Amino acid sequence: MKITNYDSLQKVKVEGLKKYLPSKTRIAVGMGTCGIGNGADLVMAAFSRELKKKKIDAHLTKTGCFGFCSQEPLVNVHIPGQPLVIFNKVSPREVKDIVSALGKGFLPEKKALCKIESWDNLTGEVVNFGAGYPQIPLWNEIEFFKYQKKIVLRDCGLINPEDIEEYIAVGGYSSLQKVLGGVSPEQVIEEVKISKLRGRGGAGFPTGRKWELMKNVPGDVKYVICNADEGDPGAYMNRNEIESSPHMLIEGMSIGAYAMAAQSGVVYIRAEYPLAVARLKHAIAEAREYGFLGKNIFGTGFNFDLELVEGAGAFVCGEETALIASIEGKAGRPRPRPPFPAQSGLWGKPTNINNVETWCNIPVIIAKGGAWFTQTGTPASAGTKVFSLVGKVKNTGLVELPLGAPLQTLVYNIGGGTGTNKKVKAMQSGGPSGGCIPVELFNTPVDYESLAELGAIMGSGGMVVMDDDNCMVDVARYFTEFTTSESCGKCTPCREGLFQSLKILKNITQGKAALEDVPKLKDLGEIIKDTALCQLGQTAPNPVLTTLKYFKDEYDEHIQAGKCRSGVCPELFISPCENSCPLHMNIPGFLMLLKANDLNQAFESIYQDNPFPASSGPQGRYRPAGIPG
Amino acid sequence: MSVAQSQLPREKELDKVILKFQDKPGLLLGILEEIQNLNPQKYLPIEVLEYVSQKTDIPLSRIYSVVTFYAFFNLKPQGKHSIIICRGTACHTRRSKNLLEYLKTMLNLQEDESQEGEKLFLTTADNKFTLRTVACFGQCALAPVVEIDGKIYSHMTENKLKEIVKRVAAGRKL
Repeated sequence: MKITNYDSLQKVKVEGLKKYLPSKTRIAVGMGTCGIGNGADLVMAAFSRELKKKKIDAHLTKTGCFGFCSQEPLVNVHIPGQPLVIFNKVSPREVKDIVSALGKGFLPEKKALCKIESWDNLTGEVVNFGAGYPQIPLWNEIEFFKYQKKIVLRDCGLINPEDIEEYIAVGGYSSLQKVLGGVSPEQVIEEVKISKLRGRGGAGFPTGRKWELMKNVPGDVKYVICNADEGDPGAYMNRNEIESSPHMLIEGMSIGAYAMAAQSGVVYIRAEYPLAVARLKHAIAEAREYGFLGKNIFGTGFNFDLELVEGAGAFVCGEETALIASIEGKAGRPRPRPPFPAQSGLWGKPTNINNVETWCNIPVIIAKGGAWFTQTGTPASAGTKVFSLVGKVKNTGLVELPLGAPLQTLVYNIGGGTGTNKKVKAMQSGGPSGGCIPVELFNTPVDYESLAELGAIMGSGGMVVMDDDNCMVDVARYFTEFTTSESCGKCTPCREGLFQSLKILKNITQGKAALEDVPKLKDLGEIIKDTALCQLGQTAPNPVLTTLKYFKDEYDEHIQAGKCRSGVCPELFISPCENSCPLHMNIPGFLMLLKANDLNQAFESIYQDNPFPASSGPQGRYRPAGIPG
Repeated sequence: MSVAQSQLPREKELDKVILKFQDKPGLLLGILEEIQNLNPQKYLPIEVLEYVSQKTDIPLSRIYSVVTFYAFFNLKPQGKHSIIICRGTACHTRRSKNLLEYLKTMLNLQEDESQEGEKLFLTTADNKFTLRTVACFGQCALAPVVEIDGKIYSHMTENKLKEIVKRVAAGRKL
């Protein structure tokens, strides 16, 4: 059905609400990539089977991801008039319990993770699910969600991402309707400027100003592009945003296109995200069918359409000029700026590029106003940022935090620490362009400026926690290996400088380096930073420079003592147990003798290194798999 | 030179793909991605590139530059089964490198030292397995992850990996 005005949008909204808040029980299985990776497809099949078997008439559907990845598969169940209840780590076995309880008209409270009584999707009216289940905590009472504020992820994990009507039900496309219904492009840009929204791809350029620059460039043909080439290893926010609510991206881009007078748009997305690609393709087709993309949108004469281009596995294509070259069918090599894309971008025409998350904020800013948006975050960094909290942390997942919250909230309150007996050592933010922040500096607020001051960057939002088992020299080597292989080769500092840095780092991890190599490494890094052509090169030394700054003792230890205390660099020790033993006892030798049943020799071998084995034994940190600590 | 006579029906398929992307942004990437997916051995033979060049009027040199620039494209046939180890940061901190080394030993694969800094791409002598790495699957919460024949396996260990690879090699269902 084509939507041409406010009334027809309202009609579809009523239809959508019948699916989002049906008059019967609604069961929604979290079918994002993380959910499916944990068996959500099996859970879905089990629900379908059990409901049929018990002859229960319920609305079974899928949803995106609610963010708590380590608790997947997540399932939310809503009985009309009662709160929406979220179950975690649901197995096909538990499906039986849930369905059989449903048959009796209640829910198994003990298995629930949390409940939602009412929800503000921000773009529409507050949805009241209902009250009840006093034993189940509210969603924002549990530690993982307590500190979060869901602005970008407002609909994620709740609506069905493959049904445009559910998006409309929660207020979707009403911002586009509002804008086309009588807000001038200048007013839209003004509102975005008031909101102080900054680019969520990492650089943090003010979005409103970027739009204004583009608008002021004369030209009949202009493009808007969404950068969904989320190449930072350790980051998957954009994947989840598209998988869980693809229409918010389409709506955001349409509003931007109207403000900047662009008629076509491109979403450049990684081919490594097959589910996100499929859902976005589906969403674009739906949006065309309903008349949100195409000609004469909302009967206003505004034309805008969107194409999807799949990237082909090149990290550098996240850089805007490289991304444009890639869309044009060339190897994705950056070129010097100026001219900026706003002056000469895709096919030489004025082009605006924003990150997925930047676009997804736009419908909310239009619905609630720019001033409302600035109430969250800090004066210089307004709004929220979605982070992927991963690595050595107990509660992995997607976390949307108001900007300015301290790192320790993220790692300890939300993440719950490492969840093992190991200590957190550092946090790596911003992927290969970012840096390692030591645990001593975890009181730093997470905003663009504070992270940059430490030599790291906010980047796209990957936050990887490292513990005592991670060697910081190895981390530097890992990222340099990555950037060396991803360097496009166009400019010398990046191509040769990174290659030489990698050589030195390899030598250090193999015990072949000299102390003079450390200042050399630092010089190289600083030169690359100052002279490389694009952002990839200019930020590539950050992992090396920050580890040199905060973990120099580990570098020295590798070089001078030939020791890797974390037991990561294989050339520097015989076995992990010997390496973690303060006396470096020959444990493998002892085990060999034991295996040969030569008990006397085995006993003797201990006393060669250590007269008090019983008291120093527990000092060793390393425990082979299967042996309790 | 056009595609060999015996592969004529494929020429039709190629035309269909080329037509589909005509006048669209990202035309060359789209065409090459789809054509490679059509090939059961998941690679782009030089004849096919020549044919695409002829049909699209894009110089072969540029097509070759694109194919060799992006990690997704292969100029050599892939093994029957593909194993892709994620080398993202979260997987790295959870020791995905050990999985890689383990598989190399298990499948008897040797890395060419001259390819240092290049992306890893190894196929077993019997063409049964291709082992490669990816920058990141974005499955970081489930680290370490390994993709085998298009399916992602999470929280991977050496023992689990051994079992799955054995099953795949024996042609058994997973």
